[in-house]
Order: sequence, then C-alpha cells, then structure tokens
Amino acid sequence: MTKVPSLGVRAVTKSYVVQNIRTEALRDVSLTLHPGELSLISGPSGCGKSTLLSLMSGLSRPDRGHVHALGVDLGALDDAARDAFRLAQCGFVFQGFNLFPALDALEQVQIVLDYQGVSQALAARSAREALELVGLGQRRHLRPAELSGGEKQRVAIARAIVKHPRLLFADEPTSALDSVNGAIVTALLREIAHRSGAIVVCVSHDPRLIARADRVLEMEDGRLHRDSRDHSSSNMMGTSR
Amino acid sequence: MAVALARKTLIHEWRRFLPAIMSVGFSGVLIIVQGALLLGIVGTNALSVTQSRADLWVGFPGTQSADLGRSIDIGVSSELLVDSRVARVEPLLLGSGDWRGPRGGGISVTLIGIETRRDALGLARAVLPAERALLDEPATALVDDGDLDKLATEIGGTAEINGRRVRVVGTTSGMRAMGGVNVVVSLATARAIDRSLAASDNVTYYLASLHSSQAAKAVRARFSRPETRSRFEIWTAADLAGRSVRYWLLESGAGVGFIFATAVALLVGTLITSQTLMAAVAASTPQYATLRAIGVPFPKLRRIVVEQAGWVGAIGLALGLAGSLLAAVLARLNGIPFALGPGIMALSGALVLAVALLAGLLALRRLRHADPAALLR
Repeated sequence: MTKVPSLGVRAVTKSYVVQNIRTEALRDVSLTLHPGELSLISGPSGCGKSTLLSLMSGLSRPDRGHVHALGVDLGALDDAARDAFRLAQCGFVFQGFNLFPALDALEQVQIVLDYQGVSQALAARSAREALELVGLGQRRHLRPAELSGGEKQRVAIARAIVKHPRLLFADEPTSALDSVNGAIVTALLREIAHRSGAIVVCVSHDPRLIARADRVLEMEDGRLHRDSRDHSSSNMMGTSR
Repeated sequence: MAVALARKTLIHEWRRFLPAIMSVGFSGVLIIVQGALLLGIVGTNALSVTQSRADLWVGFPGTQSADLGRSIDIGVSSELLVDSRVARVEPLLLGSGDWRGPRGGGISVTLIGIETRRDALGLARAVLPAERALLDEPATALVDDGDLDKLATEIGGTAEINGRRVRVVGTTSGMRAMGGVNVVVSLATARAIDRSLAASDNVTYYLASLHSSQAAKAVRARFSRPETRSRFEIWTAADLAGRSVRYWLLESGAGVGFIFATAVALLVGTLITSQTLMAAVAASTPQYATLRAIGVPFPKLRRIVVEQAGWVGAIGLALGLAGSLLAAVLARLNGIPFALGPGIMALSGALVLAVALLAGLLALRRLRHADPAALLR
C-alpha cells in the first residue's frame, strides 16, 4: 500500500558563512518521511543532519529547494506563519532537555498548551496524561533539579507530545543518557510514532536508537548517503545521488 | 491558572534577581529621601504659612516667597472685613535681628510677630495657647525647642536682639528653620526690636479666616482685581506655601542639584537592573529557544521579560517606600525637616517603575540569542 507522503524535502541546499568561510551544510538533498514511522538521520559530526532537521521543522529556510510539511510549503511562509505552523503541528526534544528550573514537571508540559490557548482545566489534564504516558505521573510535582537525566528527557518528551503533534523532531535525545534511560526514551519515541501516527524524526548516532528505528537515513558531507529501508513503494523518495 | 512562568522564575531564582530589586529599591530611597529632605528644608522658608491656620494670606504684590514679605498698608484690614465671608483678620510681622546670648557672638534670627489672643491664627499649629499668652508680657520671646542649643539659651534665659533685652519664656515646636533661627514674639515686641517694623501702620501680612474655607478661592478672586493688585496681593495658604517652595527650589539651585542626583540614581539603577535582567535572560536562553521552537511567538517571550521587570520594579518600589518611611521616622526623631508627601512618593514610584521597565526593554536585546535553530547546531 502506498503511504501518503507527509514530510518531503526536495533538492534542498543550505550553506553557512562562519568567519568569512562558506560551508555547504546540505547539498541537493531530497527525501520523504511518512507518518507512523520512527525515522533516524545518522552520520558523523558536521554531516548536515542537524541542519536538515532544522529545515524540515521550519526553524530555518533552505537556500534552494523546497520543504513540504503536511501539504504546506514551509519556505513560502513568513516567520509568523511558520511560528503558527510549529505551534500547531510540531513537537521538539533536544539533547539538553531545556526545562525551566522554576517549574515542576506538570507545569513544564502544561505551559505548551497555555500558549496554544487551551483552557486551564484541559491543559492540566492533558499534561497529566502526557506525563503518565512517559511513566512520570507520580513525579509530576518535581522540579528539574529533583529529577534524573532520564526523567528530565521524559518530561521533555511529554512536553513535545502533549499537543499531539503530527511532526515530532528529536535532536540527539539519548546522547546524554545512560543505557537504561536511553532504551526507555528510544522505546517511547518508537511507540509514539506507531501509536499516534506522527512522523517522528530523530537525529542521532546512538547505535541503540539506530537499531530500533523503522528507517535509517545516513548522511555524509551534506548529502544523503544511504537509506536503509526498502523504499521502492514510494515515488517521492530519493537520495541526493 | 496559566503557568506563571515569569513570577515562578522570579521566586525560584530570587538570588539572581536580588541585585536588580535592591538597585531599584535604593534608587527609590535615594530619590524619595533627598526629595523629601530638599522639600523639607526649602519648606522651612514657608513655616510661617504652614504653621498658621489662616485661609487667606494678604501681602505685598509680587511676593515670591513667604519669608520675603514686605510691608503693606494697615488699611487693607478694613477692606477685607467688608466682605461678609471674612470672619477674622489679624496681622503678622516678619522682621530680622541679631541675637546675642550670654556666650556672646551674633546669630541672625527671623522675628515673627504674632497676635497673642488665645484663638489667633498666626502660628496656631506651632504655638500652644498657654505659651502664646506669655508673649503678652513685653520683651518676651519663644524659640523652637530644636534651637535652644544653637542659641545657647533655655526657658527663663535672657539675650539681646538688636541690643534689646528679651527673655525666653517658652518654646515652639516645628519652627526650626535650616538657615536662620525663628524667634516668635508679640506684635508689639517685634515692633520694639526691629525698627523697620516700628511704624505701626505697616504690617507684613494680614491673615484672614473665613466662615467657610470653601469660599477661599472666591474671596481671593474678589480681591485680585487690577485696582487692588497694585497695593496688595492675596493668596490661599497653600498657594503662598507652594510659591515659596518653588521659588527656593529654582532660586537656590538646590532643585537643579536634586534633578542631577536623581538622574544619577536613575542611571545607576537602570544599568544594574538591566544587567541583572540580561543575565537572567541569558541563563534561560535555551529554554526560551525551546519555546520559540514549539512556535511560541517572539512577543510572548518579550512579555515574560517585561513582566519580570515589572515585578522587580514593584518589589523594589515597596522596599524603597519602606526604607523612606524608616528615614522619615529617623528624621522626625531628630527634628530634621523631611517633607515626605504623596507627590514625592508618586514621582519616585513612577521613576523607579520606569527604571525597571526601561531595564526590561534593554534586557530584551538578549532574547535575540534565543534562536531555536541554534539548539540544533
């Protein structure tokens, strides 16, 4: 059965100028990601995988090429419209957790819904449910300083999924975690993809995560090097070469 | 309730915000205390007005400050009494003298000559009826209890003013001036001591009380017509006191000094507060960037910082007001003129809140570092 393409990158190129030296981070990359899958972008440092994640999530724009997410051409949106798109559709998990020290776990999660204009009662209930989903229902009143690294990342995941995003982006979500917590987080991301039908994209070179991904995209020198899943079923998919 | 991020962060990280709160508070104390001291000191030039109970004051046309009164014609009194709204009119004399006490040396004093009847208007707040009655005896004087040491005298002591012997029969309260010394005497004693007042047909001011204080402005208007303006001018007590304070604020240069010192306090307050808020923003940059990543618009992040600045301003202001009240208590205990009025408190409150908000706006520049794409590099 042919899946509906939901996140497509067509011939994108992106370069940075750092201290007058131009670096091409992405060179003519094309790929398509599908709902219900945990896709993993892997590769050595500086290969462009984080830049690709940034473009796919609408955090930055490509120099050339197009990014279509859920039928929207992100490159055609102005900043405010991309903010609105991300607020409605995107969840993020970062390597550094980035939790507010002053807020307890429940508030870290609830604040996202506050900004979406969700009513307080519903926001609090949804936040509790999201924390229960990541196994932290009992620890919802603890602040980051009272949580372990793995628990913090699970709070960050709860924060990312509380609004039921159709796109979930994770940047090195397990690299700061020990093996047990790394495995828990990996399982959570995979389960979220399969159960919610979201497109889950991870950037990582953690072998534990690579082993559990539905699809592994390997990058090198700003190009997509290998796509390890059989992708003959989709005519949108492709690599840069 | 929505998650109060700004307030919770402020409480949780209070140590981080403390320098800003203290700097706002100190700016507030500095402005209020020096303002209240300045107004208190300058206000001592209007003590004869503020310590009396008259509704209206009548004096020489164009008088710029209560202490600079010049003689007006004695006939003004009967003109005023023609108006049925006027209940009483009484004279008040201002003169000067050279005080020589038992220790020798001269001290310039201001002579204030008042009516001695029990319910007189002149200095009614500073002179008790019993003390006032003592002035009926010729060559007697009251000095402020805060000035006894300065004059090296005591109740019952004697001194010479302009070569005339006077006896100190009691004290006044709240008549301590910053420049000279106020010596309160009867009208007759004032004329006897200061020869410029000797001509009995001249008085410095007429004090009028009305049947109803509400009528003060209407009566003033009646006696402010061009034909009377060449002979005398009439003010409400508040007008004359305010005019005296304004004159000395501008004339003495003290007002300019106050403005300069206030500007320095505001500048230092703004710098410290903005640096503190910037550091707070910098410490939360990854968290703010995460909010940006999930699509929270930039103006909503700005609101967090501005709200924090507002809280810093409000708490700092509360501390500043508490400190100023403490200063007012200390000033009162030490007899220092300290005019802590609602005006100076409102002015200082507005200024320090402006400091906090300006600092918040300066700190907003740091928010630009909250770039979500930077989290992915």
